[in-house]
Amino acid sequence: MTEAEGRLRLTILGGYLGAGKTTWLRHALYEGRFGKAHVIVNEAAEIPVDDAFLRSSGEVTVLAGGCVCCTARADLIAALRGLCDARSRAGAVRLDTVVLETSGLADPAPIAEAIRADPVLTRHILLDEIIVLVDGLHGAAQLASDPLGRHQIEAADRLILTKPDAAPDLNRLRATLARLNPGAEVTAAAHGVDWPLPPLPAGVLPMDLVETGDVAPPVPVPVALPEGMDWSPFSVWLSALLHVHGDRIVRVKGVVRTPAGRLLLQGVRRTVQSPEILPDPGAPTDDTLVLIGRDIDADRVRRSLQKLV
Amino acid sequence: MCSACGYPAAPGHWTDAGAASPGDRLRVRFQRVKALNTLLGPYGLAAHDDGVIPGVQLASRTGAREIVPDLAALWSAAERMTGTPVDPLGDRFLADD
Repeated sequence: MTEAEGRLRLTILGGYLGAGKTTWLRHALYEGRFGKAHVIVNEAAEIPVDDAFLRSSGEVTVLAGGCVCCTARADLIAALRGLCDARSRAGAVRLDTVVLETSGLADPAPIAEAIRADPVLTRHILLDEIIVLVDGLHGAAQLASDPLGRHQIEAADRLILTKPDAAPDLNRLRATLARLNPGAEVTAAAHGVDWPLPPLPAGVLPMDLVETGDVAPPVPVPVALPEGMDWSPFSVWLSALLHVHGDRIVRVKGVVRTPAGRLLLQGVRRTVQSPEILPDPGAPTDDTLVLIGRDIDADRVRRSLQKLV
Repeated sequence: MCSACGYPAAPGHWTDAGAASPGDRLRVRFQRVKALNTLLGPYGLAAHDDGVIPGVQLASRTGAREIVPDLAALWSAAERMTGTPVDPLGDRFLADD
């Protein structure tokens, strides 16, 4: 199934503790960016605070006392199933999107995996986007000290720098984000209001992130797809690759031609989202695949793909 | 969902997204089995899909057999049967290059 029809769109909003998730979300809801949205707020602490700020903008569910990517995952599944049930009842209110504001301790990737693995939710929910906010003021220090901040950034489709006006070295942080997740779009927002970013000057070096164990920064490996490549061997190859090396490949992005049309492929670790069909531009231009990960032997990847397709 | 066998239990796996018409779907299934066998061969496994029975049938040389609903399940089953993951970057597959 490639269509979104009938499925509820889910946006995951993540980011480190104090990155400004609630501030940003409050403004986005006020502006109506998510349409008719239901907000799920997760707080790792027992006493929820943030929901008071969001209540005025619409329906809010609070999951407190555990992080939804690990200890409170069952609560999240139950809350989402409840929403799907309520939506399919007669006379239900129209709902465009569910926005999940994660706790600052959450890694978005396991949440995406949990939704895919649930037999009910996988039919009812389409993961639309993972937005991760990065603290412009403290982000650099957090990235240097805590691997969690990096995992959050690696999982994002879109990165938003908060507090850009207070950032000590915004360009260096931007260069670091571009290195950690080259596929994600980076924008900035101050108190939730878009803050235009000038083009990144050439020659800005990213921060020296300590490369120890599993926290070495991932590198992008572009793989040119052979012209006239068939979808079947390619999907066999990519699914096998992700099964074995999914721990090291943090992101997969690409556009692939198939008998059904051009498919946009997006994956986080082992989870590949239902591909979207893109309009056909007419010319075979953009058939490339980008793998972003650690210790990927680019030469072997290309040889292996060539051999199978 | 097929009420006799329970397939499919989830909306299609992403690898099933490449074909929209029934003819394309069947063609894609046959091409897929061919590619699967290229990859599974060096591990002593074989895949079979007759286009009628849902899923892919996976068999090992020792006689183990399993029907899997999609490719994600297939790789897990293959790893269980052989005790080692089927690695497209591994030496077994790339050996004769």
